[in-house]
Amino acid sequence: MALDQQQALLFGVAAAVRLLLFTAFPSLPSLLAGRVEVSTPVTSFKRLQEGLFLYTHNVSPYDGGVFHQAPLLLPLFSLLPNPSYHPFATNVVFTVVDLLSAYALAQVAESGQAAVTRLFTSSRKDLRWSSAAIAAGFLFNPFTVATCVARSTSALTNLCILTAMAKASQGASITFILAISFASYLALHPILLFPPLALLCYDTRTARTKHAPNPWMFAILHTLGLAVASGALLVVSAVLTGSWDFLAATYGVRLLLPDLTPNVGLWWYFFTEMFDSFREFFLGVFWLHVASYMPGLTIRLYRQPLFVATTLTGIFAIFTPYPSIADASLYLSLVPLFRHLFPVMRYTFLASSSILYTSFLGPAFYHLWIYAGSGNANFFYAITLVWSLGLSVIVGDSLYAALRDELDVDRPELRGKEVKRI
Amino acid sequence: MPPPAVAAADASPATHTDSTSTSTSTSTSTSSQSSSNALDAVNARPQPPPETKESLWLRRSVILSFWAVVVLLGLPVWWRTTAIYRADLPLQGMTDWADGKSCKPVFPLRIAVEAPLSPQEAHHLLRTTQHALDDLNEFSAHHLRLMLADPPLPANASQQVVSDGIGSTRSDEDIALSIRLIPVETGTTPRSTLQPYSPTLDVYYMPNQIPSASSTGSPLATYIAQELHKIFAEEQALLASLLFSTSGVHTAKIKSLSAETAAELKRQSTRALKYAPTYHLTFSLFTPTFAPSGWDIESALQQYLTPLLESFSAISNFTVDTQVQLYATFSPSIHQPEYDEDLRSWSLRKEDLSGFINAAEWPLSPSIGKGPTVNFVLFVPDQNQSPLLVKENGGNSWLIPQWGGVFILNPPRDSDTPRILGKEALTPAFHTFSNQLLSLLGLPQTPASLPLRLSTLKRVRAASLIFSASSTLGALARLYQALPSIPVPDTVAKSVDLTTSHLQQACDHLREGRFQGALEHARTAEAAAEKAFFERSMVGQVYFPDEHKVAVYMPLLGPVAVPLVMAALKELKSIISGLRK
Repeated sequence: MALDQQQALLFGVAAAVRLLLFTAFPSLPSLLAGRVEVSTPVTSFKRLQEGLFLYTHNVSPYDGGVFHQAPLLLPLFSLLPNPSYHPFATNVVFTVVDLLSAYALAQVAESGQAAVTRLFTSSRKDLRWSSAAIAAGFLFNPFTVATCVARSTSALTNLCILTAMAKASQGASITFILAISFASYLALHPILLFPPLALLCYDTRTARTKHAPNPWMFAILHTLGLAVASGALLVVSAVLTGSWDFLAATYGVRLLLPDLTPNVGLWWYFFTEMFDSFREFFLGVFWLHVASYMPGLTIRLYRQPLFVATTLTGIFAIFTPYPSIADASLYLSLVPLFRHLFPVMRYTFLASSSILYTSFLGPAFYHLWIYAGSGNANFFYAITLVWSLGLSVIVGDSLYAALRDELDVDRPELRGKEVKRI
Repeated sequence: MPPPAVAAADASPATHTDSTSTSTSTSTSTSSQSSSNALDAVNARPQPPPETKESLWLRRSVILSFWAVVVLLGLPVWWRTTAIYRADLPLQGMTDWADGKSCKPVFPLRIAVEAPLSPQEAHHLLRTTQHALDDLNEFSAHHLRLMLADPPLPANASQQVVSDGIGSTRSDEDIALSIRLIPVETGTTPRSTLQPYSPTLDVYYMPNQIPSASSTGSPLATYIAQELHKIFAEEQALLASLLFSTSGVHTAKIKSLSAETAAELKRQSTRALKYAPTYHLTFSLFTPTFAPSGWDIESALQQYLTPLLESFSAISNFTVDTQVQLYATFSPSIHQPEYDEDLRSWSLRKEDLSGFINAAEWPLSPSIGKGPTVNFVLFVPDQNQSPLLVKENGGNSWLIPQWGGVFILNPPRDSDTPRILGKEALTPAFHTFSNQLLSLLGLPQTPASLPLRLSTLKRVRAASLIFSASSTLGALARLYQALPSIPVPDTVAKSVDLTTSHLQQACDHLREGRFQGALEHARTAEAAAEKAFFERSMVGQVYFPDEHKVAVYMPLLGPVAVPLVMAALKELKSIISGLRK
């Protein structure tokens, strides 16, 4: 029970920190909600409020062209008192969302799927952090706190993704499918996590029940389940808003990038400079680029599906059209699950210093560009490039480490030696 | 070259080379291997073990998965998003229009003759006059055709009924001109008067001037023919110069177009505004002081301008606005008015008239709404600078080509400037403005009858619109052929079809002498042709040569493609060499 006490303490402190920030600095939420690093056009709480206002006044929430988030958020948030006057309930909701995410992350850590899977056991499997430490890494990550205080709806997406991971690592198929379809419903790109997580779910189910389920049946059933759950969500949304217009306003915006508000990703600058006639082509190229990692990684690292899913969240944080620090916080909180890979990673200093560097310089350069007027868009874009570089270094380095770890298991005699890929 | 080693067991001093055919190679610096290998390790670099089946399969399927994304999704996306859609255009038909092959505009004018004569006499008169007319005419496209007014008047109708004209003139607008033959006993005959406000020519003759059935010519017929030729001379010159300048088809047939006529026509056409379906008229009152601060513009417009604009309604529409500007000063760039002792007036130099409008400070907006703006400026000079006149000719108004007109209204001497300008005070100004408007709209100077001039303008405008739309079609066809890389949306093809069908109808109407219909169709055709030519989505890639596409594709796709292609080639090579063995 010591662990539970420890966890309760941890969650209590995390909740207290958040509620303290909300109450001690009443202007902080709206300040953070206006920051492009935290709030993107598809996750901003201010835009959610706009959609909520239209929704409660019986106007289609997408008519204003401002709101691009999933329609099911509207009835959920319309139950809460108006956050402009009584923000406490909303603040509590977002705090609880963070705590639930941390709880799911702790479950993932406890399952031990990071280091020991059905087909693969890391040679350094004893090198791991406790689930409480990993949850603490998530809860006290400044990026997570900022996302929570800004009340960005990407916190909800993160919760769904983490729940899907937790349920997949426990082999709970139905809740896993529900969670992943909610995540895809909210943000579209998490659907790419389905194959590796389904693989993870299959692994745990096989390990638990001794006699392995038929893999084809398993794949077909789970895909069907995903289709049914997503379809049901979309139909409910259509019934709720009265039309299918929400598809163009939510997923259409994510796919076609009409809103070029700056963010920490790489797309906005590229598409402000793009020739109009090539815009559609490069939208396709960029999206395919994001998607093309999924099959390759899943095939290559099919023995470590949780690692594939983690790496994909890192790729999402870099290459999706509207990333924010919330996506980075998800990835950075998942990386500590793979503590056993850290000794093999080579560029940890470079990666962590560039992340730190951009965390401080990014807001400064944005200020120079937008408010002071002494900089230009290139200042901020350069910083987002370095930010993406830092994240890519972590992704690439951890990939290398995972491959090296597999090699160490396959060829124990090479352990500790310098290897060269040919 | 030694063959590449395939297994570690083959390692020997003889094959002590760098082998790059397998996936990993190890450094030999440390020796954690078994002691039996230690000796080998000293002697030779041990070759890595062969790849397992599984890792080979894994690697190939990873490469295949990337290629599958590229081929199955990337190529369709590339094909879909960069395909240039070019709607089919009837190029040959468009070029024919531009070359004037599809339509030779002809202007058959119908002239109704009302004669208090017996049908035989009337027919004979008509025939002889038509002969005389055809002899005079040098411009075949412009053709005057005489016909008896319908219904033909009984020969014994009284003169009173004829001159009254209400019951007899056919209210057919396709009749260009009516000739009323009126027998008189006194005065020089034959003589004629052109009604100023209706398309009617009254010809007075003595009954004995009617040609007898046997004679082939008569003074009356010749006289009528000459009068008609005179009336339509300017119109013929206008149309001839239009045909000459735009198509060059009829060059051989124009001899009568003298140099002076051509210069005069050119002067008129440079004055006139480009044709538009809607013009915007702005009347502005400018005064350098506080008075007059108002004018009775509504009723002045009502009385002087509205009838004129109504008579133009078949050709163009007009919108009108007015403004009053107090304390409007001269432009600093011109010489200030000087006092002229001889004329006892203040004078403006002629060369300063072009700079009279103080464009920087006077709020005369260049264009309001869709159509071009015609500006009319009424300037009331200061009491102590009055009267203000043009130095060289003492005039007080002038026309600014393609822009508008200016009138200086000098307040009456020996009295203060009135606070409000009444309708009577505005009368001279509005007479001038009306004349200026007529020349700005390109109305010909002759003949004296306003409806005739208007119908002339209608024909000229219809012809010039047909030419303009046709040449736009030709330009579009050339553009289509010259720039194969521009997209051509379906809307352009639709507009082209609309243009050609309306052009055809306009041409048919012209041939049948229905000029109002011709003008309307020509107007639609011109608008559709302009819309097709200036389609926004066509011009996006005009200045985008194919070489630039390399610069678009390479920076991003090149680095991605190189490892993909290299990996695929390497795998293919190893598969082929595996098959050979």
